[in-house]
Amino acid sequence: MKIRNIIITFVSALALLLSTSVTSFAKVVGDKIILGSAISLTGKYSSNGVHTQNGYNMAVDRINSMGGIKVGGKTYKFEIIYYDDESNPKRAAQLAERLISQDGVEYMLGPYSSGLTKAIAPVTEKYGVPMVEANGASRSLFTKGYKYLFAVLAPANLYLDVAIDLAVEKNGGKPVTVAMAFEQDAFSQDVRLGVLEAIERTGSKKVIDDKLPKELNDMAATLAKVKAVKPDVLVVSGHTKGALTAVRQIAEMKVDVPMLAMTHCDAAKLSKQHGKNSQYALCASQWHKTLTYKDNFFKDGMTYDADFSKEFGYAPPYQAAESSAALLVFKDAFERANSFDKVKVRDALAATDMQTFYGNIKFAKGGQNTDKPMVLFQVMCDGDKCENKVVAPTKWASAELIHPIPSWSKR
Amino acid sequence: MNKNIILYSALLIFGVLAPFMLPAFKVQLSILCILIVLALTWNIQGGEMGYNSFGNILFYGLGMYICASAQVGMFFPLAEWTESGGEKTFVHSPTQFFQGMAFGLLLAAIIPTIVAGLIGYAILGLRGHYFAICTLGLGVAAGEISGGIEIIGAGQGFTTPPFPNVGSLESRGQFFYFLSFIVLVLTFITVKSVYSTRFRLVLNAIRDNEDKAEAMGIQTMKYKIIGWMISAFFCGLAGGIMGGLVGYIDSTDVAFDGREMGVFMVLMAILGGKGTLWGPVIGATLFHLFKEGFWTYFLGWQYVALGVLIVVIVIYFPEGLMGWLREKYPERFGEVVDEADRKAQVELK
Repeated sequence: MKIRNIIITFVSALALLLSTSVTSFAKVVGDKIILGSAISLTGKYSSNGVHTQNGYNMAVDRINSMGGIKVGGKTYKFEIIYYDDESNPKRAAQLAERLISQDGVEYMLGPYSSGLTKAIAPVTEKYGVPMVEANGASRSLFTKGYKYLFAVLAPANLYLDVAIDLAVEKNGGKPVTVAMAFEQDAFSQDVRLGVLEAIERTGSKKVIDDKLPKELNDMAATLAKVKAVKPDVLVVSGHTKGALTAVRQIAEMKVDVPMLAMTHCDAAKLSKQHGKNSQYALCASQWHKTLTYKDNFFKDGMTYDADFSKEFGYAPPYQAAESSAALLVFKDAFERANSFDKVKVRDALAATDMQTFYGNIKFAKGGQNTDKPMVLFQVMCDGDKCENKVVAPTKWASAELIHPIPSWSKR
Repeated sequence: MNKNIILYSALLIFGVLAPFMLPAFKVQLSILCILIVLALTWNIQGGEMGYNSFGNILFYGLGMYICASAQVGMFFPLAEWTESGGEKTFVHSPTQFFQGMAFGLLLAAIIPTIVAGLIGYAILGLRGHYFAICTLGLGVAAGEISGGIEIIGAGQGFTTPPFPNVGSLESRGQFFYFLSFIVLVLTFITVKSVYSTRFRLVLNAIRDNEDKAEAMGIQTMKYKIIGWMISAFFCGLAGGIMGGLVGYIDSTDVAFDGREMGVFMVLMAILGGKGTLWGPVIGATLFHLFKEGFWTYFLGWQYVALGVLIVVIVIYFPEGLMGWLREKYPERFGEVVDEADRKAQVELK
């Protein structure tokens, strides 16, 4: 029965291997402050995961090259340990555990998407590890009483409710009919809640309320209904793929609707990829390069846009901008805390009140950023060149909203 | 026999001491236990019975949702817990948490078993590719359907009750580790004892030639259903534990995760050697080590590596590691090789 010997050898080798592979980094090594992050480098969120990672890296390079972080009279530099969470919440929770208990990370940066943040937040909370996240907007993240979670972005329910208000305003203050199509994921469903509240508030009526599968590749059935029902507003949210699918199929099926409101237009590079087909789409955004916020590192939105484009070869979507802002927040908090103690850093984060190129950042009790409004932009084309122009709120508007959208036969 | 006792007690001691020896790896070790359970139970269908099931993920996901729902529903209104993506927060007291978990796990084992019996009755008449495709559909459908049921959080997901504040920071990890380890031991004992009876021979007969088995008077349907129910029982338990461990259930990405877990359980069993008792255990362990290693050190290439692994398995180890060893060293598996007979056969050719 020598097979038993084989198995015994195998098991002992395994035990040895595991026990020797326990390597623990510390939170601060030499002059480096180690941050940890699980990022979607593969899977359905991979394009936005990369935007997030690029945003983080851009800010790390910038902060390090401009003098680093000064704590206790010494200068430190940021370094980030990344893992690929495969766009999977199960994996993300596991990686958060790993970053903290194996790699010894004591400060975390958020992943991409609300669902993954929902999976990671309980872990960071349990260990009391401060996490600044830039891409988890679901409202339920901020009602759980998490003390170590800080989001630089506005919650998801504020994404598109403004669009409904705008439609009502354009309709002479009268209620409108709304068709809704949302992907079945934490973020999009939260956007839906915001829209539902706006519908109720304005006395409008929802005529279509479709849930779409993840990794949205086809929404022809919904659009066929839209053609038949002719609503005043069509709202679509389904991350990057949802935006691309919607615009492609609306153009193919020549669906006429007076207002098309979406999310993730800039992450999907709609104006570039679909050009004139994406014209008139109204998009919710956390940030736009023309906003006039300023800071010492990236100067302002236009400069950030230029620097980012130079480095990565494409214009930064807001996912990248907010990710960069997360590091500015961390730097600021470390310097104010003047310590690496997790609790002190957490308290400093809670007291954050600053302006970055991305917007003002001040955290409410639940951890969400209440100091930065959402903006809506519309894709506008001049000849073949399409651009995103801010149309609301009026304070930042650089163009007038085009409403209603001209029908396909007249384009 | 002596060596067996030494081996099993060594493994048991290793299992009990592991979370203390490797405190930082508790979560990975718990997941390893779950993976082994899934591979062991898949092997009952895929390995012993020759029915390639992609539907075992259904029981795993069901177990996950059932356990979490019971744990919440016993003490709080479930609909309010999941409303608007779980905006309201209710806090389980430690007693409530553990009572709920125990009751939840009980249901998570029983309900999938019943479901397996019912579905099995309906679809185990299908054979070969038809059965595989049908079960594949089951998993996908379950994911999409559960993503539309509001009371379990629909597309927003279901946050399972957080572990109560008892003991130290380590207690959560230890609790889930020992829970999954106990389930692993139970599964192993069950599978091993089932394999030592006539039951295994029947399953093998079904795999080798189902019509002939039937002609011999074996009620194949009965055995197929019982086999599937055993798998469902432990898959449900594994799912229930995993839900608590991850803390957040998403319909297609965590619960009915056919694309990952559903495929991994097949891959692990094949890697180790399907149709053997130890194959799935070794396969799952190697797979987990491989995956953790590549996902850490070859970031960006991990799926390429996984693809290479699959190709290597298919080409060089079609029978898995155990099958390969068995072919190389048949005498170590208790097979008697008659050297003269073997030579005679070679010469004949």
